[in-house]
Amino acid sequence: MTTTNLDQPQTVKTAQAPRPPGRPRQGFSPLQWAALSLFCIYSLLPLWWVLTTMTKSNGQLYSTFGLWFTSPSNFAENVQILFTRDNGIFLRWLLNSILYAGVSAVGSMLFAAMGGYAFSKFRFRGSGPMFNIILATIMVPSTALALPIFLLMQKIGLINTYWAVILPSLVNPFGLYLMRLFWDAGFPTDLMEAARIDGASESKIFWQLGLPLVRGGLVTVALFSFVGAWNNFFLPLVVVNRDTLFPLTLGLSVWNQTSVSSGQDPIYTVIVLGALVSILPLIIAFLSLGRYWQGGLTSGATKG
Amino acid sequence: MRYRTTPWLFLTPFLLAFTAFFIAPVGYAVYLSLFIKKRSGFGPAQNVFGGLENYLRAFQDTAFLQSLGNILLFLAIQVPIMLIVATAMALILDSVKSGSAQKFFRTAFYLPYTVPGVIAGLLWGYLYSKNLSPLNQITGLKTDFLSSSILLFSIGNIVTWTWTGYNMITLYAALQNVPGDIYEAARIDGASNWNLTRYIKLPLLRPALTLTAIFSIIGTMQIFSEPFVLRPLGYVPDNITPNTYLYLAVARDGNFGYGAALAIIMALFTLIFSSFFLRNVRGETA
Repeated sequence: MTTTNLDQPQTVKTAQAPRPPGRPRQGFSPLQWAALSLFCIYSLLPLWWVLTTMTKSNGQLYSTFGLWFTSPSNFAENVQILFTRDNGIFLRWLLNSILYAGVSAVGSMLFAAMGGYAFSKFRFRGSGPMFNIILATIMVPSTALALPIFLLMQKIGLINTYWAVILPSLVNPFGLYLMRLFWDAGFPTDLMEAARIDGASESKIFWQLGLPLVRGGLVTVALFSFVGAWNNFFLPLVVVNRDTLFPLTLGLSVWNQTSVSSGQDPIYTVIVLGALVSILPLIIAFLSLGRYWQGGLTSGATKG
Repeated sequence: MRYRTTPWLFLTPFLLAFTAFFIAPVGYAVYLSLFIKKRSGFGPAQNVFGGLENYLRAFQDTAFLQSLGNILLFLAIQVPIMLIVATAMALILDSVKSGSAQKFFRTAFYLPYTVPGVIAGLLWGYLYSKNLSPLNQITGLKTDFLSSSILLFSIGNIVTWTWTGYNMITLYAALQNVPGDIYEAARIDGASNWNLTRYIKLPLLRPALTLTAIFSIIGTMQIFSEPFVLRPLGYVPDNITPNTYLYLAVARDGNFGYGAALAIIMALFTLIFSSFFLRNVRGETA
């Protein structure tokens, strides 16, 4: 349990403020501390292992204790191998991932914002059933899509192009659903009608009046589309086989495969370093955008 | 009248992409699934119309049925464990006012979600290796986490590690959205902490829990990357999950018709499981 010593300043501070109802207690009970700590160790230990392992040579990986650092550090060599191996293809993979995820984030955010706006603010023939069909496709497994997408793309010659990975990632049905909720809650229909009476055009109402009011939704959808595209493995595995088009996920898994199968010159610790590089952008995005997505995701859960 | 075409203009970009990359592929998959590969004489195999033959074959294909069994195990064991832990952690974090310790735990629990499934599979694959596992290093044992008897649990652990924190954040945010006066009223009525949790917080969590459960079901039906990247590191059967089986079957024999049939069966199962779950939850509330 925390010492009274540490609790003191906090109690003084909150004594003046009204007590937020429902969550009166100041700190966790010992049992709660134990549960939280245990789960915290479970969550962080593999990541800690990444930090220690990326500083080792492949030999040190086997000869040293996994959860601590060793000297001499092999970090600089690992960085060098990571960015120079196979003619520096890792950098290419990194840029590919940024391209795939960036275009997917912006594109699917815009499409979902516009589509959600149509369903939220207009009544038109077939809007109800159409919305339900779009929502139902959330349940279609990506494998069920990837296989026919591969064949269709083969027919129009898009296999082994950037388009093959980018185009399918522009559709985010759940994003459209989320955006509809944000439009319902964040942009009053009265306001839209008032703007119309003032003579504002439909596109001006959408772009200049509406969009700023649903910023939280835009960030949420963009972030989750970015993560979805960044993490995507199955689609690129199916539609590209030229290594210059690989995203990070596919590239690292191929390096792992060749490291195991060739037997000589394995680069596991370099792969671990590459894994960290592939996670960092997402960690930064989530930490810096936390206030948006933490509230945004549940608006779907509480209103839906 | 004026606004008749406006919604369609806003919908067009989404609908175009949606039609091209959702509706058309699903339709094409249904069409493909009706064709079987047939070899006549010495010529190469040809695709001929086979009706529902691919579907009948799937339900007699023991390898496929085994992979379905594995997924059922996941749904029965991994998903409940993950959601129970996520709920417990969300309730604990919600039981006190926000502070720095609480913020730290929230972030720490969430970090694994930022690791792509493939990368999580790679990292745990190394952590599972007999010679590298820190657990083996500490205990001096030589446990092979990729041996066939515990392989499924090892994969379940990777999924649990990645997704528990994500689910926890969703549940935690739902708890935070609950208006405070409900708690205040309950406290004035003399409700204990346990009663508050049992009769107020858990029922209020139901919509968020339903959502996380459905997404977990959808995700479980599609497990692919984790077992796929473990394959080079140990013996992972092709049919460890329906998706690995489907992918490897198509990649090996190029039998797209059969692959499409399997994919459609999986989509239907997902739909059935999710709606079964939705109905049950609704039934309880009524």
